[in-house]
Amino acid sequence: MTRPNIQIDDEVREMTEAEYEALLATGWTLEGTDETPTAG
Amino acid sequence: MSIKTFTSEILTSTDVNNYLTNSGSQYITSTVVGTTVSSVTITGAFSGVWDSYKIIYSGGVGSTSFHLGLSLGSTATGYYGGLIYNNAASATPAGALDSNTASFTFAGGGNTTQALLNCDLHNPFLARYTLINASNLSFTNYGTYNGALGNTTSYTAFTLTPNSGTITGGTVTVYGYRKA
Repeated sequence: MTRPNIQIDDEVREMTEAEYEALLATGWTLEGTDETPTAG
Repeated sequence: MSIKTFTSEILTSTDVNNYLTNSGSQYITSTVVGTTVSSVTITGAFSGVWDSYKIIYSGGVGSTSFHLGLSLGSTATGYYGGLIYNNAASATPAGALDSNTASFTFAGGGNTTQALLNCDLHNPFLARYTLINASNLSFTNYGTYNGALGNTTSYTAFTLTPNSGTITGGTVTVYGYRKA
C-alpha cells in the first residue's frame, strides 16, 4: 500500500515508513467515520 | 504605543510603520495545504515575541468526515481536554474527552465539503503548559473544546492531523497577539 502524504510547510511528499508508523500509533485510520465526536 | 491623532493630510511612513508594528494582532506565517495530505506541519510559528496565538485553517475539505487534531513539535502524548457539543437534531449537550492522547483531538474538524480549525493557543513557546481554546464544528455537531498539554517544553512548530482520511486545500494561517 502506498503511504499517505505528509506536508511540512509548503513541501508535500510521501511519508517515510517511520513517519507512517508514528501516524498509525496515534489512532489515525484511512477509513471514514461518522459525525459523532467520540468517533475520534 | 501611545494613541496619535492625525491632524493633517500627510501620513508619514514612520506613522504607518509604527501602527503596523504595534497592531493588536500580527500575521506570522501561512501555509497552503496540498492535495490528500495526512498531516500538515507548520514550522517557525512560535517565538518569544508572542505568548498567545490565533490559528485558522479554512478553505479545505476532507476525504471523509474528520476531527482535526493539533499537536506541538514532536510530542505525541500528554494532551488533555474536554469537548462539549450538541447535535443539530438535539438541544441536549454531550461530551467527549482527551485524556493523555496524542494530540488535541478535537481542535477542529470537517467533512467532504468544508473544514475549519479556529483556535487560540497559549504559551507554546514558554516553559508553561500549552493551553487551547477552540471551536469544533461539523455539518451536524457544534461544540467548544478546551485543553492543556501537560509539559513545559518550548515549541516552535505544530502539526494538524485528521483522525481519519486526508485533507486537501485551504490555508493554515498563524497570528500572534501583541503582548504590550
